Amino acid sequence: MSAPANRPVVLESAETLAASVRSGARSAVEITRAFLAQADRTAAKLETYLHRMPDRALQDAEAIDRKRAAGEALGNLAGVPIAIKDNICVRGVPTTCGSKILEGYRPPYDAHVIERLRAADAVVIGKTNCDEFAMGSSTENSAYRITKNPWALDRVPGGSSGGSAATVAACEAPLSLGSDTGGSVRQPAAFCGVYGLKPTYGAVSRYGLVAFASSLDQIGPFARSARDTALVQNVICGRDARDTTSRAEARPIDLETLEEGISGLRVGVPRSILDEAGDGLAPSVRAAFEAAISALERAGARIVDVALPHAKYAIATYYLIAPAEASSNLARYDGVRYGVRRPDGDLRGMYEATRGAGFGREVKRRILLGTYALSAGYYDAYYLRAQKVRTLIRKDFLDALAASDALLLPITPTPAFKIGEKTDDPLAMYLSDIFSIPASLAGVPALSFPVSFDASGLPIGLQLVGRPFDEGTMLKVARAYEKEHDAASRVPAIVTAGEGGAR
Amino acid sequence: MPIDVSVVRKIAALARLRIEAAEEERYARELGSILGFVEQLQALDVSGIEPTSQVTEGARPALRPDEVCPSDARDEALAGAPERDGDYFKVPQVV
Amino acid sequence: MTKPAGISDDSRAKYEPVIGLEVHAQLKTKTKIFCSCSTTFGAAPNSQVCPVCLGLPGVLPVLNERAVEFAAMTGLAVGATVHPRSIFARKNYFYPDLPKGYQISQYDRPLCEGGGVEIHVGDVRKRIGLVRIHLEEDAGKSLHPEGKEGVNTTRVDLNRAGVPLIEIVSEPDIRSGAEAYHYLTKLKQILVYLDVCDGNMEEGSLRCDANVSVRPRGQAAFGTRTEIKNLNSFRYVEKAIAYEIDRQIALIESGGRVVQETLLWDSARGVAETLRGKEEAHDYRYFPEPDLLPVDLDASWVEGLHATLPELPDALRERLVREQGIPEYDAEVLTETRALASYYEETSLRSGQPKLASNWIMTEVNAVRNKTGDTIESFPIRPDRLGDLVGMVSSGRVSGKIAKQLFELMLGDPAGPEALVQKHGLLPIEDEAALRALVREVIAANPGPAAEFRAGKEKTFAFLVGQAMKQSRGRAHPEKLQAALKAVLTEESA
Repeated sequence: MSAPANRPVVLESAETLAASVRSGARSAVEITRAFLAQADRTAAKLETYLHRMPDRALQDAEAIDRKRAAGEALGNLAGVPIAIKDNICVRGVPTTCGSKILEGYRPPYDAHVIERLRAADAVVIGKTNCDEFAMGSSTENSAYRITKNPWALDRVPGGSSGGSAATVAACEAPLSLGSDTGGSVRQPAAFCGVYGLKPTYGAVSRYGLVAFASSLDQIGPFARSARDTALVQNVICGRDARDTTSRAEARPIDLETLEEGISGLRVGVPRSILDEAGDGLAPSVRAAFEAAISALERAGARIVDVALPHAKYAIATYYLIAPAEASSNLARYDGVRYGVRRPDGDLRGMYEATRGAGFGREVKRRILLGTYALSAGYYDAYYLRAQKVRTLIRKDFLDALAASDALLLPITPTPAFKIGEKTDDPLAMYLSDIFSIPASLAGVPALSFPVSFDASGLPIGLQLVGRPFDEGTMLKVARAYEKEHDAASRVPAIVTAGEGGAR
Repeated sequence: MPIDVSVVRKIAALARLRIEAAEEERYARELGSILGFVEQLQALDVSGIEPTSQVTEGARPALRPDEVCPSDARDEALAGAPERDGDYFKVPQVV
Repeated sequence: MTKPAGISDDSRAKYEPVIGLEVHAQLKTKTKIFCSCSTTFGAAPNSQVCPVCLGLPGVLPVLNERAVEFAAMTGLAVGATVHPRSIFARKNYFYPDLPKGYQISQYDRPLCEGGGVEIHVGDVRKRIGLVRIHLEEDAGKSLHPEGKEGVNTTRVDLNRAGVPLIEIVSEPDIRSGAEAYHYLTKLKQILVYLDVCDGNMEEGSLRCDANVSVRPRGQAAFGTRTEIKNLNSFRYVEKAIAYEIDRQIALIESGGRVVQETLLWDSARGVAETLRGKEEAHDYRYFPEPDLLPVDLDASWVEGLHATLPELPDALRERLVREQGIPEYDAEVLTETRALASYYEETSLRSGQPKLASNWIMTEVNAVRNKTGDTIESFPIRPDRLGDLVGMVSSGRVSGKIAKQLFELMLGDPAGPEALVQKHGLLPIEDEAALRALVREVIAANPGPAAEFRAGKEKTFAFLVGQAMKQSRGRAHPEKLQAALKAVLTEESA
């Protein structure tokens, strides 16, 4: 069977690929092979994966082709490969969260999102690299490898879902899933020039997502277009009885509404937050931000000034709440029931040796910080106070979103930084989360979308923030921008470099 | 806010984390710097503000019926144990 | 029981013990509190586990509605306030049988607060107040090596991990081991009446820790308290508290000071000893459980639940006294369990003899059950047959002695008492001629007493009746026998 279009398979949209599998124009196997071949050329160089599963992927693709041959209806992601961040459980497949403490661990169950993807006939092709337990902004905290940014191999892909962002940017997969606790989908999406959605808290079941900070964690998709982002979100969203914080309010988006344009739509711009970033905000990002405002205005949007007066407290708030929850969530890694054990005398020795050797520095730092914040005598001053500030931050967003339909703000203060550049100063790394963290604390949806490139060819992304359970409006704005700009359609040189190119 | 090494030791013990002696100083410095940064929250007036421990307003209570449904994952789950004694998990003696 | 030396009743009288109990009751749900694993006791190790209760990475808890219902029922039954909103919290500590490294419990927003339980100690009635009742999950079971040389491992079974518990915390209203015993008995009775807990201490369905302190009489401030754990029966609770009260008094009297600590009760030796190896002060780092929503209960749901509560022991006891006219003491014994009370009510109705039915159950039925270990449900004589038997006694159809024979026969034969009378020839002898023949034989065999009666010594009459009854092997109709004896003795002078 030959492809109808002359575009290489790996450059096609997921939507087109799924349609072609449903129509019989392409087979799931053919598509899967194309992406596996692409990954064969680049994945080792980019170090995007912790575990690839080509045999299983081809088996799954064959099964989908058989289903079609048998006349069965196929799902919305028919035959479309998808890469999964290594903190999302896939039954029988190594799931380490980038940590030594889970080396060799294979979950005995599928995450809810994996069940949904399989029901939609997607093909899971591997587990992507990430910062250990999703703690980090560069994927340098992975215990196993350092993922490279496909646009500049000496730079980080962002994090913590760096592998998932890079693999989509490098066309090794048309889609991937990451998880976003304080920006871990949106920030790497911006660094890698792809779309990254953090859904509303509760829009996607967390069942099977290895917890970092339970009140903030959300699984979200990476894709190379607004429509593909919506396509995946539609498959994974909705209520799951196994996650009581998941919500029935999360409903699929009608893809055709994304084409409606944004005439009259109110886009809120919280300018004060730019001042908070101060000198840290790169001129290229500031320029891209101003240009995007003008572009949206030209597309018919009304720009309105909004304020997020408490957003400046977001980092401090987040670095109390998230580590506190993490210190508890990571207590289960004790060497008793699964994962790695380091014997050392009595039980206590075993605990301390196992956790001391199994966790990396960043994880230990956050466990210590969280343990401290929750401990007797400090709870009110730290954790409880942070929760109250969180209330104020959420209210800021709800107020701003009452006066507008979506907010536009930066997602990262700079384009991708160099590998090793920030590893010595954790606080400096934390401060770069200033634009991503507020929406996480507010629990509102946020989308990182590619807008342009800086002078050295590094992608720049911006962030849209929406009302609770209104992912559609953000995607509509991003789609309107995408129609007039080519930032999203460009691919890094590595995709076409080397033998055979991208065919 | 300065954090001394004894505090690091105390919370590391509480969290069952072995921190090498050579590292204690560094963790103390880093924690001190982060805690110094979060001090800014103390300046904010939060009196009368309800804490947000989860963003789930409007969610309906989701309870589970009391019906037994044995797991199909049990054997796989037990197979991953670092050490077993028959069907028991085995750990070094507690005291 | 060993007692610390040197405690006189005088020194004991100088101090007032102050005791509060924390009771953990396992709720009788089919499944665990946060997953669908079975809670059946005694299953093979780690056979009733799943990713959720094993605490695997990525799993989340989902609350069992029946557990909430049972906990709320308990609150309503003891007059506690059932809060419209309660919140789960994580209690963080490391232990191999605690899979997640934290226990999901309730902390500053428990399901129920307040309420109380009325106890009777001797003739004294007293109310023991409750602080709170909250929901939580149980831990698994650690099997420690016991004195085996060279064995240095602990084995962990997680079947029990995640079983729903309620923790019932009393006010420090208890003043003695005996009061503690009565409080626990009453609490268990309520839980079993509600059918929310099976009350089985051997299987760990009911567990108790005691906080004990003493203070000089008249002093308002509490003394330093100790906590006693490992109390596996209500009697141990009573003994351990008595022991600890004496220990504290002896300590204070000898100039020492009570240290706040946790003690383990050693039932074999009858002593409470300091729990070693807990050098680290607890810092549980409680915080609201972000994986669970607050438990929000509609007022109408709570009202509905209240309306469906079964009749509780106090109300049932009062009703039996009122309706059946039996003494308070009988009602107390008969309401030990709801099943026993129902058994009594059916027996009473069938026989139309409330007090006689009560006597039969309290003496004959309970004596057999004490020997055989039968519950009232498994007792072979059902209320219909016992009611018939009681009816036959009250109508004089059979004598008390025959009735007891019948009762013995009924234990092994499902037939009704009337059928057994026929089958075993236990019909009463009522025929006057036969009775006269019988008493003539007795008079002939006992000429002395007969002569004495005729000489006016009426006391010997009873002896002769007894002999005649014995001769008839209990079958003689009592009144008719007496009439026949009197007639023969007076009419037929020797």
